[in-house]
Amino acid sequence: MQRALNSQVKKANRQHKLNRLQTLVARHEPVLQAGASITTGFADIDAYLSAHAGGGLPCGGLHEVAAETSADMAAALGFAHRLGARFLHHAAEDDVLLYGQTHAACRDGGQPYGPALVAHGLSPQRLVYLDGVTLPDLLWAGEQALSCASVACSLLASSDSAPDFTHSRRLSLAARNAERPLILALGSTGASAATTRWRIASLPHNGWHVTLEKLRLAYDTPPPTGGWAVYSHHIDAQAQQQNPHIMPLMRRAV
Amino acid sequence: MSAPLPPKPQEPLLTGRRIIALWFPHWAAETSRADYDVAEPFALIDMHKNAQRLVALNGAAGKAGLYPAMTLPDARALLPDVQTAMADPQDAAARLQKCAYWLQRYTPWIGEDTPLETSDGLTDYGLLLDISGCAHLFGGERALLEDMAARLATYRDGRSITLRAAIAGSIGAAWGLARFAPSDLTIVPEGQDAEAVLPLPPAALRLSPPHIDLCQRLGLDTVAELARFPRADLTRRFGPTPVLRLEQALGQAGESLNPYLPPPQFQAHKNLPQGVTQIEALAVLIGELCAALAAQLQQAGQGAQRLDLALTRSDNAVMALSLPLAHPSADAAHMLRLFEERLTRLSGGLDAGFGIEQLRLAAARTAEIVTPQEHISLSGRLRKAAPMAALGGLYDRLVSRLGANVVVRPVPHASYIPERAVRFASVLEAQQSGDDVSSIIDPATRPLFMLCAPEPIEVIAEIPEGAPYRFRWRRVLHEVTAAYGPERIAPEWWDGLVGDRQSASIGHNRRTRDYYRVEDTQGHRFWLYRDGLYEREKGQPRWFMHGVFP
Repeated sequence: MQRALNSQVKKANRQHKLNRLQTLVARHEPVLQAGASITTGFADIDAYLSAHAGGGLPCGGLHEVAAETSADMAAALGFAHRLGARFLHHAAEDDVLLYGQTHAACRDGGQPYGPALVAHGLSPQRLVYLDGVTLPDLLWAGEQALSCASVACSLLASSDSAPDFTHSRRLSLAARNAERPLILALGSTGASAATTRWRIASLPHNGWHVTLEKLRLAYDTPPPTGGWAVYSHHIDAQAQQQNPHIMPLMRRAV
Repeated sequence: MSAPLPPKPQEPLLTGRRIIALWFPHWAAETSRADYDVAEPFALIDMHKNAQRLVALNGAAGKAGLYPAMTLPDARALLPDVQTAMADPQDAAARLQKCAYWLQRYTPWIGEDTPLETSDGLTDYGLLLDISGCAHLFGGERALLEDMAARLATYRDGRSITLRAAIAGSIGAAWGLARFAPSDLTIVPEGQDAEAVLPLPPAALRLSPPHIDLCQRLGLDTVAELARFPRADLTRRFGPTPVLRLEQALGQAGESLNPYLPPPQFQAHKNLPQGVTQIEALAVLIGELCAALAAQLQQAGQGAQRLDLALTRSDNAVMALSLPLAHPSADAAHMLRLFEERLTRLSGGLDAGFGIEQLRLAAARTAEIVTPQEHISLSGRLRKAAPMAALGGLYDRLVSRLGANVVVRPVPHASYIPERAVRFASVLEAQQSGDDVSSIIDPATRPLFMLCAPEPIEVIAEIPEGAPYRFRWRRVLHEVTAAYGPERIAPEWWDGLVGDRQSASIGHNRRTRDYYRVEDTQGHRFWLYRDGLYEREKGQPRWFMHGVFP
């Protein structure tokens, strides 16, 4: 009897402590629901985000988009641009997207190509591009952009080295305070304080394999480990129907 | 005989104007990059009228009996071991301009010397400084001139520069006195120009060689003898120029000074009693200058579009930093932040030498600040500043740290050639909407990322004219599972017709390309092309990788 009571008291004590810690954490860590959010435009992912991340991808935060292998960097950048375009769509009319690349990313992956931007929901007039800088300069530029109200979203790409935890934490705090998004497209990842981390791989037939590896404050319901297979023609079905070039000349069985 | 003309007014036209004329008799030789013994005769030579002639001498060569325009064989006969080097007039002129820039520590208004007609291709090096109202800052005219002479004596790493200078009330008088006065440094008290100029030879009037010859033949040895004649007679005999020069020297005709560098309207400067080497201290001083300049700008309702900061070291080297601004700004804190950014990133750090003695900050280009009306929106979120101004501040910071050619925006250009369909323009340029390319290019068929230059790849195709079967790019073999195309892009017919043969000679710009969008087994998508057609265009077709799809 005594023992049962003891264990009950212990349990209640633990629960009380847990509650206190949770309120403490909540006070220091702004919750996801606080700011505005966007949808990704992919039905499966949006369904998960609306259920577990308070309606969508939060605007105020650091989002990491990592490539599965170094060859998937283009896919990761494509997904990052997709998110950037959604953030830009959410912002005021004359706001811009800042896209910066390190020297290595520029050399490996090339420069953004103006005529193709429209197909990805971006307009050349609203893009400011940093054509090859060092990683410290890139992070500095990202921080500067966060302090500017007219930059709807900044997208920083580094194919070889990733910022360390200190820098990641710094950017994450700055993004959450500014309530503006910062997207890091990385070829390699380390410890990070990002709000979300996505891992992208290319899939045959114009597809991406998207895995949400990390969603901040969603400890109770971790994202599906299998990820999602998404296809760009799910979005651009109409555009692709109008496009005569889409029919393949040859298709080999693999 | 006609009635005598009324006498010319004897009062000088401009009072209170003070001009320094500097003359460097041996400038080209003394500042030459050639390595030579300063104490021994040295001459610069140049080809003139099919003979090698001396065009510039140093002091020792002059004393040894050499003279300008002498031929080199004559000089060698007189002085077998004279040191010589080839003359470089452009270089000497550039160094003079650099010196003029340095002399801005005394006055912002520095003028080119009157170009003199010389017969032998010789150049006369001198500068004119308008120091009206500046002398008291340096403790009077005598102190200013002596300070200048002392600094110029050590101007170029130990090699002293011979200087003759004069301060007078008119350009003409100062010019003549600098060259023909008995002492090296002459100061004419205000209003006594005429008395000082009259005893000089007529050559002091900036006359051309034929006029000087004429004076000698007429037996006119001084300006005074020339000035005795009625002006009308002089004009008849000499033409109008010598009379004008005479009146200018006597201060009876006005003359304007042609500035090398137009003095900025807004500037602030600081002279330091002792050299400053620490970058933190410099930042504080630059902050004060920025505040002073911003106050001037704000009062005039102007904003700076370009800021020039000149730091003068105690060894007389001038370091200049130039900052372009995206939008006119009169915000001191913003300016200071940009300079701090720049100072911390100077290549190899800031070389302050033995200390920086003077700082000069000028708004080189200004424009009116237009304050846009603030938008009041009931539903939207409140904006702190006008969006353009906020973006302008960001662009300034990015450009000052990263460089103007790095911070760019794409400008579409109507061309079928893929790499010409877009170019990058600096954000500091006015935003251009560019051409509408959607009518000629389907965006969905273009890669989101274009390689900086097409990269050659090895391709195996099923049939020569067909799509690739497998290819090797950056040492990785890709098996193609699907290919879309070809999209044939022929060179623009006017390519190579208009002007530049350079672009016409680049081989792959002149051949037809067949573009394919291909996907490999892993699902990576590429944009590649075959450059050239089999049997219809010369040369073997080659394959290139041009872009990647996300």
